[in-house]
Amino acid sequence: MRNVAIVGIGHSRFGKRSDVNVAELAFESIKQAIEDAKIDKKQIQNVTLGSAGGWYEESLPAVIINEYAGFENVGTMRVEAACASGSAAVRSAYLSVASGEADITLAIGVEKMTEVDTLTSVELMGRAGSYLWEFENYGMTFPAYYALYAVSHMNKFGTTEEDLARVAVKAHHYASLNPLAHFQKEITIEKALNSQVVAWPLKLYDACPISDGSAAVVLASEDVARKMTDTPIWIRGIGLSSDSANLSKRGEYLGLEATVQSSRRAYSLARTSPGDIDVATCHDCFTIAELMAYEDLGLCEKGQGAKLVREGQTEIGGKIAVNPDGGLKAKGHPIGATGVSMMVEISKQLRHEAGKRQAPIKNGIGLVHNVGGTGHYCYVTVLSRSL
Amino acid sequence: MSNEDSLPSRRTLSLRFNIAISKTKEFWAALREGKLITTKCTSCGKVTFPPQADCPNCMSSGHEWIDLGTDAVLVTFTNVQITPTSFVNHDPYIVGIGRLADGPNVLAWVEGATVEQLRPGDRLRLEARVSPEGNPYYVFVKN
Repeated sequence: MRNVAIVGIGHSRFGKRSDVNVAELAFESIKQAIEDAKIDKKQIQNVTLGSAGGWYEESLPAVIINEYAGFENVGTMRVEAACASGSAAVRSAYLSVASGEADITLAIGVEKMTEVDTLTSVELMGRAGSYLWEFENYGMTFPAYYALYAVSHMNKFGTTEEDLARVAVKAHHYASLNPLAHFQKEITIEKALNSQVVAWPLKLYDACPISDGSAAVVLASEDVARKMTDTPIWIRGIGLSSDSANLSKRGEYLGLEATVQSSRRAYSLARTSPGDIDVATCHDCFTIAELMAYEDLGLCEKGQGAKLVREGQTEIGGKIAVNPDGGLKAKGHPIGATGVSMMVEISKQLRHEAGKRQAPIKNGIGLVHNVGGTGHYCYVTVLSRSL
Repeated sequence: MSNEDSLPSRRTLSLRFNIAISKTKEFWAALREGKLITTKCTSCGKVTFPPQADCPNCMSSGHEWIDLGTDAVLVTFTNVQITPTSFVNHDPYIVGIGRLADGPNVLAWVEGATVEQLRPGDRLRLEARVSPEGNPYYVFVKN
């Protein structure tokens, strides 16, 4: 397998983007990524799109976007791994280069979620499990799936609603420093605690918003990358795993086993360990998800996630900076865009281009943790500044 | 933003899926009669819930139907306050996962208690029901 680097990054503004259709939204990121890589788009040999689909009018978004952006006769596909579709797209583009099939590839993530009304969006997400046994008769929602984990975690480890609110406050703070984030305002613990209950004990401010957005990365083989840029960001390892579709088949509801398995694989491939990571994007679709991610990724012992956020250890300047872009929680979570957006953020951090939200980089290693569904899929990617 | 910035599509799409249940029709028939049963592999003995005709352990398709049992312990739960479009006329509902005394976990609505009255570890009973529309389903009832 050849070494592969991220050599170009692009990222749209996240939020309610009723000013653009899905192709126009994707184009914003594609153009930036190509300009950042300083290549001609004809050099891109294949295009992989991560998008869950179903929220917007196009059934074949990959070809719609390729046509709009002027990619002709390229190999292409859309990949789906729910909320981890973006990471799955990057993995596909990565494997194409690593295997020697292509020298330069493009991975795009996009979702246009606000073309349907909010409760239809709730419905589409609620169906993302084992449909007949969880939705048809019981009307599960995405917050409800994570609430099952929150109740168990709180009961076993003493995690509180206030701890969850602290995660939200941190996310909104960093989003206020990120001009591309959906939310631009800070919130208080009181505001989070007093917000509407969505699926008890989770409240509105425990949940990521429904967002539109896109992100894109250009990948290149080592020899090509070194000629293109002085700051290639190397993909050192991608670990992936999955878990049961039906949540009733899980164990104790204290963490996501898919995260445990995929992170161990990623650390092994990258020959690194949690203690070496300077900065991470963790999949915080809900506040409880970020606390479980700390534990499942090995950033702390099981049950100690709340302690980490109480002590500020996951803020910039703490033990490890987590979600300095505002995370899914406040930057927004346009489903298929998220994994690629995380790659863009970690690339910016490792290049020292994150501005006001730049984390200290000591070892030059960053982590992307991208979960699909309720731990149904998980992709963990280790990125580094040097090989 | 002016209305001219978006074009509400005039073509609506209503999807209703016909889900095949021929391989597990015994489950639905029994449920309609008030009984809860599930599949057990006749080759390796694996008990599955939800029921499935093909064994995920040994991949044999030979199976028998056994009683699922009704005694359960509450593992975790939530109260769904914001309900999806197709449940929009429902009051908020409590969903729990119960661990059956001698079998697998089941996810279902929990009745007979408010969310404040529930704790993980509570004893539950699994009961068959038929909805006003005539669809069989099952719920947990707090003992």
